[in-house]
Amino acid sequence: MVFNTGAALLDAIVLAVVSMEDEGTYGYRITQDVRKVIDVSESTLYPVLRRLQKDECLEVYDRQFDGRNRRYYKVTSRGAVQLNLYKAEWKAYIQKVNAIFEGGVTA
Amino acid sequence: MNRVEFLNELERLLSDMPADERQAAVQYYADYLADAGEENEAETLRELGSPKKVAESIKADYYGTAFDEEKFDHKDYMEKYGRRFEEHGQGAAPDSAQTQNARNGAQGKDPGEEQEDTGEKKEPWTSGWLKLILIALIVIVAGPVAIGIACAVFGLIAGIIALFIGLVIAAIAVMITGIVMVIAGLALIVIPPAAMVVIGIGILLFVLGLMATVGIVKACMVVFPAMLRGFVDLCRRPFHRKAVQ
Repeated sequence: MVFNTGAALLDAIVLAVVSMEDEGTYGYRITQDVRKVIDVSESTLYPVLRRLQKDECLEVYDRQFDGRNRRYYKVTSRGAVQLNLYKAEWKAYIQKVNAIFEGGVTA
Repeated sequence: MNRVEFLNELERLLSDMPADERQAAVQYYADYLADAGEENEAETLRELGSPKKVAESIKADYYGTAFDEEKFDHKDYMEKYGRRFEEHGQGAAPDSAQTQNARNGAQGKDPGEEQEDTGEKKEPWTSGWLKLILIALIVIVAGPVAIGIACAVFGLIAGIIALFIGLVIAAIAVMITGIVMVIAGLALIVIPPAAMVVIGIGILLFVLGLMATVGIVKACMVVFPAMLRGFVDLCRRPFHRKAVQ
């Protein structure tokens, strides 16, 4: 994608990806899911997850998998509120951009 | 570089971070590589980039500074958008500036705190010198007076100590007199009334002397530490006040 993904949009996408799983999901899968949508390098996601965890938008728990502990991420109620805010902001944003792209210039 | 080497190197590069942050990061990447699968290990490690780059991205976010991925490799961006990138030559600079602002905004207080730190570090240096000069001046000007006062204080303390020693000796002397009178009374036993009077007075004196000795020693135990404390406080006061300022 030619457009830059800012910190807020990346937060929003990560929250959205994690919130798709009720049981929570884990680092590798989050990375793969996010990379389906936007082009970020694989090392970008850890700081984002850590920050969201610190902001109490995500919570973590460890679950046994394949003889080891795997860390799962889950959206908190606070994270859900934040995600809704992002979604509303995004909607307003793309509507304005679309308005310019599709109709604004002809005026 | 294999998985173990990558993780060890990462841990080493994060050694200046708090232990729980470091562990969380290393654990995340250990998980990540395990989930990617052994067969994809080389590919995944290539995608992740060098441990140094990964460590920088973690630290940058933790300490709230900007992380410029392009500093580490142009691979993704240049490969795919190289031509477009050249067309809009300036694209990169404003972009990274923007990310920097966004990051600083999100972690707002950190740069400010750093500035405050350096400010604080500078100030004690100058005021330290100033204080030293002031102290030297005070010592030169007030020296003779201070020595006089110190002598007076020591004299006073010595006097009080001597007074107490004298009192104790007097009390012990009274006690000894009592004992001697009792003995004398025993010698006078041939004249019973006289002996009884002398022995009685002797016992009275002994008891009075004993009470006085005990009382004075107890008073010493109260007065001396109190005096010492007062003296130390007096000495400490000017320094203490300076420290508070």
